[in-house]
Amino acid sequence: MTASLTGDCVIELTNIVGERYITDDPVTRFTYTRDASLFGGTQAALIVRPGSTDEVSRIAALCNRHHVPIVTRGGGATIYGQPKGDPERTVLLDMTRMDRVIEVNTAGMTVTAEAGIIMGKLVHACKKEGCYIYAPFAPVHIVSLGGWMSGAAGAASLWPDIVSITVVLADGTIVQTGGGPGTNVHQPIFYNRNLGGPDFAGIFIGDGGSFGIKTEATIRITTYPTKLKAGIFAFDEIEPALELVRLHVERRPVQRFDPVLVFGAGAMKNFMGDSDEIAPFTVQAMIQGHDEAEVEARLAIINSLADQCGGKHNFMLDAMAEAMGTPTGEESEMDWMAIFNSFGIPAWLPFTFPRQGFAEVYKKLIVWRNERLNEAEKLGLHLRTTWEFFTSTDPSTIIGEIDSFFADVDKPEAIAFARTLMADFQKYAHSLGSIDVYNQGFMADLNASCWSPGFRRLFEAVKGAVDPNGILNPGLWTGSYLNEKEGSNG
Amino acid sequence: MADTAFRELDRVRRFIYSCRTCGVCRYKITEKVPYVCPVKKASPGFENFSSRGKIMLAQALLEGALEPSAGLARAAYSCTLCGNCMTQCGATDQDTGKPLVDNTAVVEALRADLLRESPGLVDEAYHRVLANTRQYGNPWGMPRSARGKWAKGLKLKDAQKEHAEVLLFTGCTMALNPQLSQRARKAAAVLKQAGVDFAVLGNAEPCCGSVQKRTGAFELARDMMNSNIKQFNSLGCAVIVTLCAGCCNMLKTEYAKTDEKLAPKVYHLVEYLSRLVKDKKIAFTKEQHMTVAYHDPCHLGRHLGIFNPPRDILRALPGITLVERVATREHTICCGAGGGMRLFDGGALAVDMGREALQAARAAGAQAIVSACPFCETNLETAAQGFDAPFPVYDIIDLIYDAAELNG
Repeated sequence: MTASLTGDCVIELTNIVGERYITDDPVTRFTYTRDASLFGGTQAALIVRPGSTDEVSRIAALCNRHHVPIVTRGGGATIYGQPKGDPERTVLLDMTRMDRVIEVNTAGMTVTAEAGIIMGKLVHACKKEGCYIYAPFAPVHIVSLGGWMSGAAGAASLWPDIVSITVVLADGTIVQTGGGPGTNVHQPIFYNRNLGGPDFAGIFIGDGGSFGIKTEATIRITTYPTKLKAGIFAFDEIEPALELVRLHVERRPVQRFDPVLVFGAGAMKNFMGDSDEIAPFTVQAMIQGHDEAEVEARLAIINSLADQCGGKHNFMLDAMAEAMGTPTGEESEMDWMAIFNSFGIPAWLPFTFPRQGFAEVYKKLIVWRNERLNEAEKLGLHLRTTWEFFTSTDPSTIIGEIDSFFADVDKPEAIAFARTLMADFQKYAHSLGSIDVYNQGFMADLNASCWSPGFRRLFEAVKGAVDPNGILNPGLWTGSYLNEKEGSNG
Repeated sequence: MADTAFRELDRVRRFIYSCRTCGVCRYKITEKVPYVCPVKKASPGFENFSSRGKIMLAQALLEGALEPSAGLARAAYSCTLCGNCMTQCGATDQDTGKPLVDNTAVVEALRADLLRESPGLVDEAYHRVLANTRQYGNPWGMPRSARGKWAKGLKLKDAQKEHAEVLLFTGCTMALNPQLSQRARKAAAVLKQAGVDFAVLGNAEPCCGSVQKRTGAFELARDMMNSNIKQFNSLGCAVIVTLCAGCCNMLKTEYAKTDEKLAPKVYHLVEYLSRLVKDKKIAFTKEQHMTVAYHDPCHLGRHLGIFNPPRDILRALPGITLVERVATREHTICCGAGGGMRLFDGGALAVDMGREALQAARAAGAQAIVSACPFCETNLETAAQGFDAPFPVYDIIDLIYDAAELNG
């Protein structure tokens, strides 16, 4: 692939989206070379903000004909960076103009939206109709639906709820997966993901945008749980805390309304200051439901399980639990981004491990991290805080993080250290059996580095079939981040 | 370029590097926040129109990754300085407890460095405002002799000749715009009726320096502040009451940062009158049957936290029903006039933003919109002219004056 972006191609692109939504202005292009990560955004020759699936289809077909690479960007909210792009040739699609909620179907319990929508808008649109979209563990105000489906394995736990995805393939073909209008099964209503053939939605989830450009999706919703109760318990050791997690997730495979979250002492300091009451492990059970009796019953169960495991109560934890269950009349969603942003330069250290044997792995991770934090201190860097957290998304898996935040926000060496720490941590976690959920930038490279020959062959076969010219997000999964010393953001 | 080329950006580098460029300022939506940035909504919406994009550009200048350019100047001046990005970000500095990133300070610093070091990159419209200030003492190019005309025939005390407890400070926009200066007369009539001992400066009233500071002419604004403080302090008044939200914010906030301090206490008219209304010093005799939405001027609301006084007044006016838009109080979306946006691209984006403000008011059930800032009102009036149905725009003093059945 060597073709460049010709003047004719630019004119055709302009005709597709209109002059207002295409630019080659260097200043505008520069702002897309960075994102929320320490690893960097995309170098592009053109930034385009398409407004519809049809426009995306025409853009893809045109770029495919001219062998012009396309990088797709949602909220620009990665933690591991984006495809690096080529400042001479890459067309970057800023998908966030495609942010319409197409339908909240309260009869069929689905919501259909354009893929550039930021999750917060989607959550809000559903909530207005009394509905709930399961969007856990991620900052909803900055990630797009498309980015979430593409850049995270299992679409960050949305996976079981995705009914249909509309995808534009590299040649401009528009595909709708699942059973519904325009798909392989001509039903008037989107309602089932698996009808009429193989579950092709799955290949586009966590693909990093390599197999197609997502433009719309239909997601299953439930009625909004208006009641919230919490139980918070202290543990001195990780083993009994994990036992509580096990007892909980073995009863309920997908814990939509009642996650059990385990926080380390560093994380709890951010809630409780230097209180003597902070335990090494604090387990927080969030119980959401539709009426008092339901949540009380489920809270009683978790209280009983916690008792079995030796979970302790104290005044502060009980007060926190009580406060969490008290409706304030205000929006209850905690703004995690505001909290984390206040901490300084983040070294995000997330992981995904088997629940089985996790206690030993966790101890190793903490030892590894603390050694690196000692190293940072010797370099004169100032650690602001740490954030240890894990939970189980299913009976088999633990996800979590042991993040560290540095106060030296304007020191390039702090940024470089945090970036290296993130990269080294993932390599270490990989050596212990972690495959992290993020299929973005550096992490996609690392995940691809451990593919078996068979898996790689399957990946390449699919990629070759849907994107024979390799124009979609080129560079992803290929080691472009692994092979470099430094990222480019900051 | 020498290191000093970005000295103002360097002064706010802590804000610039504290920003994690996460994008909350570009995308956040909640029940009370339909969107964050009015410029991003009215514009094509590329990153450089968002607050995060501007922070990235400021970083790039400090790091030498970008050179000043016309495109960069456009990015710097496409901002209302409303501060909603800062509010919605919500992150606080762990050391000071203040907002982690003062986006408005960063944009102002960006403008200041560009204007000082690369003036040719900055649109002529902004230079005209500064040239007007130097020549006429006001940004609008009106002769100094026109400034006191609004008070003609009112027989008000001259603050330079007679002592008064209160200085009524009209501000350039209210004093010099014939469409708005009636409101200054109304304010004077209301204060008179309430028995307030006040005086005015007439043609000697200076420009507060707000427009110049927001445009990035920091040195000019500093000189104006220093001169004004001497003038105000020499009058012996205890209180300055402003009619303009921008003047009020300037006098309260920026003047507090100077070496010589401003002696009089500063209030916006709504703050001052709300106490008089509460103390029944103003009699409201006429009912006005109307449902209105109050538009919080950014300078008065988000920047100074003055939300209740105007609402208290409106609720006290007979026949007036106050409704709130979805985005209200600290979540208010700027009308579009802030930050010199009426000078950007001929004001087209500003008018689009104004139209959004009016539509939000109508959606809330309002028949009219009320504000307390001549900049907001001018832009909303312009937007209303292109609206699909008449939608009156009032200054709160209009409604007070009418309810009190005054003649001024």
